[in-house]
Amino acid sequence: MKNLILTFLLLLTLSIAAQNKYITKTGSVTFEASVPSFEEVKATNKNTTAIINTENGEFAALVLVKGFRFKNALMEEHFNENYADSDEYPKATFKGQISSFSVDDLNNSSQQKQYNGTMTFHGKTKTLSNEALSISKNTDGSLKITGKLKLNVADFDIEIPKIVSNKLSREVDVTFEFLLNKK
Amino acid sequence: MKKNTIYIILLVLVLTAYFGYNYIYQDHRDISTENADYTINASDFIAEFINDSETAQTKYLNKTIVINGDITAQTNNSITLNNSIFCSLLEYNTISKEITVSIKGRCIGYDDLLEEIKLDQCSLTKINQ
Repeated sequence: MKNLILTFLLLLTLSIAAQNKYITKTGSVTFEASVPSFEEVKATNKNTTAIINTENGEFAALVLVKGFRFKNALMEEHFNENYADSDEYPKATFKGQISSFSVDDLNNSSQQKQYNGTMTFHGKTKTLSNEALSISKNTDGSLKITGKLKLNVADFDIEIPKIVSNKLSREVDVTFEFLLNKK
Repeated sequence: MKKNTIYIILLVLVLTAYFGYNYIYQDHRDISTENADYTINASDFIAEFINDSETAQTKYLNKTIVINGDITAQTNNSITLNNSIFCSLLEYNTISKEITVSIKGRCIGYDDLLEEIKLDQCSLTKINQ
């Protein structure tokens, strides 16, 4: 009987733990490294996975690099083969935490929060500190997280050949938008 | 004679421009009309990833694959087969029941956060009622 109660309690805590997670499998991440008056260098990945633990604000995202789609097919090929080496490094990940996060304080007007964490891309890891994001809770209970950040290609050990160096920005603008549903 | 040389130079220029343009602005791969590199059952496909996700990922990455499996979840633009294969669809999903289907798509890798295999640009090739 005691065992039964313990098992029941264990199952109960497990199900509570599971309810604190919000996930999306179709988050959107866009990067742009365009230089004015040259062709747009921009790609979007619409199949990004993101998870947030609403108990402590822990946040993780995973991008499959092959899933970045460019307008220009040749640019997409070059990105995968020469810059991101996506055969060797198929994943880009972020793991971190949103500061002073409380799910109960969220409502449908977006709030600015800061987050810290580490990003891994092209086999290199970079620490991100005090970056900003906005978070809101929709009426259907889902969470919306959006944000922007700037990354340097040099931090991820990506070399830009001389021949295209004036057509590519070394500073890349990254935007993300995740609509997370309770798991 | 001189006129001919000019014509030849012009022709070469036009041809270079034509082929150069077509190379730079070539079309994207059309996964839905490509021949599949692999045709496989969902359960066997998942087993390969559970056994060794790195090797399986290298084998299937960027390849066009036809997978036969059972729909276990769906949204407007995605179908999940056998709980672990997430297929992002090219067109809106018209299926609303849990049935057996064949889906053709491109493998973009293994998501170890959710332990799912992801495919994009998917289309339904066969629907078993």
